[in-house]
Amino acid sequence: MPVDQELFDAVRQADRDRVAEAVRAAIDRGAPVSSLLMNSMVPAMREIGDRFAAGEVYIPEMLMAARAMQAGLDIIEPLLGTSDHEPIGRVAVGTVKGDMHDIGKNLVVMMLKGSGYEVTDLGVDCPVEKYEEAAAGGATVLCCSALLTSTMTYMEQVVGRFQKDPAIKVIVGGAPVTQRFAEEIGADGFAEHASEAARVVSACLAGE
Amino acid sequence: MNGRERVLALARGEPTDRLAVMPVVMMFCAEQIGVHYGRYVEDHRVLAEAQVRTAQAFDFDIVSNMSDPAREAADCGARVEFFEDQPAAIVESDALLADKAKLASLRMPDPLGGGRMQSAVESLRLMKERVGGDKALMGWVEGPYAEGADLRGINRIMLDLYDDPGFVHELSDFVVELALRYARAQVDAGADIIGIGDAAASLIGPQFYDEFVWPYEKRLVEGIQAMGAVVRLHICGTTSPIVASMGRLGCEIVDLDHLTGMDAAREAMGPDQVLLGNIDPVGALRDSTPEAVTAAIDRCHRQAGERYVVGAGCEVPRDTPPENVRAMVDYARSALC
Repeated sequence: MPVDQELFDAVRQADRDRVAEAVRAAIDRGAPVSSLLMNSMVPAMREIGDRFAAGEVYIPEMLMAARAMQAGLDIIEPLLGTSDHEPIGRVAVGTVKGDMHDIGKNLVVMMLKGSGYEVTDLGVDCPVEKYEEAAAGGATVLCCSALLTSTMTYMEQVVGRFQKDPAIKVIVGGAPVTQRFAEEIGADGFAEHASEAARVVSACLAGE
Repeated sequence: MNGRERVLALARGEPTDRLAVMPVVMMFCAEQIGVHYGRYVEDHRVLAEAQVRTAQAFDFDIVSNMSDPAREAADCGARVEFFEDQPAAIVESDALLADKAKLASLRMPDPLGGGRMQSAVESLRLMKERVGGDKALMGWVEGPYAEGADLRGINRIMLDLYDDPGFVHELSDFVVELALRYARAQVDAGADIIGIGDAAASLIGPQFYDEFVWPYEKRLVEGIQAMGAVVRLHICGTTSPIVASMGRLGCEIVDLDHLTGMDAAREAMGPDQVLLGNIDPVGALRDSTPEAVTAAIDRCHRQAGERYVVGAGCEVPRDTPPENVRAMVDYARSALC
């Protein structure tokens, strides 16, 4: 399906009113909602993520774009359930127990939603039990975020809980988290930046 | 020279006998005396004890009362969560200024009004009694944008830059006044240095930084200097896009996080700016060896040149091997300035 240029531009320019109008107009024209998401909103978010990774835009622009995308998702999501749309994966994202920082986690949520995943935002200060609930609810990838060196160690408990369950992948990230730490605790994946999260989730789901 | 003499001479641009060493140590100190971090955060006597004993054991040049970002916000009435063994944290979902209209009636708290700011001031008094002549005493305030984020919620204040710029300016006026009052109380209690931590300022890019943050940081820096204290600025995160502006603030010491190259900072800020840091606290300090720490600090020193203070890019993690921390201090002791 071709890209809805108006929707693509509205997300890219972080104009939430225009996004909502463009989505409604496209639905009125009979456009498949799944296509609006995957062929217009996802490419726009990918472009913003790339610009963020390149240092061309910053957190305020990312959050503005996320808010604009959400204005479209609020209309689209209820309709996706009634269509034959299947998300490309179900992911849960949370900041680990003891840590109240959520900017990085929010960026990951946004980049994953903007890549077509169904994302559950678990919030901050998440104990293992929250990840268990998400897995029981159908998430197959669990993303753990932390900003503090003292809280990232909790990720080991989340990884340990799901280590014997090959159907569940645990990915870790956050400012102090390193590839070496991720390997030491046995995580299935590590994303250095929020903009990498979608690629890492995709690789995990592909069994790489 | 003792630590205090060394740091103050450095700040005045005078020669020193060797490099100063001023790492940010908080949880590491609690660990050294075997207490949970929650006690360090909540009891000024425990904080002072941990700081003094650790600074003496490792021969640091400073002691500090910093512990978490939530002291000023707590005294404003923000909801703060306390943990047994983690830093106190602000509950953003219930941020004090989630409703912007509340700013108009927000009362300016008294730093000596019996709250969390007073506890930090009392810890300075205790440290002054113990090591005041030997170590430089460092107080701490939240920077304008960080404190604005603490009160408003960091996600909200990012969107406010676009949605309501006037509010960001009004909030910044409030928090600079708050920081100056808190700094005054700390200087009166004996602080030689006031550190400004403005973590959120690295997230917004150079244009917003110059418009919404720099003018308020400048007012704060000049206000603290007028009290006779030395200013140390630390902005966590990637500061490369704003590092030249940071250099124009006129701080005696700029403490760089590890994501910004020391060579780039030196180039942007000129030869006279004292630069502090900036090895990766996890990769190059905690998960490292004494030999590798020495090499990493040496790289920073060579890039920064003479006007340099030894430290990590951010807080020294609590489980850092003591021999790695000693390697930092040994470098400072042995290297030529």
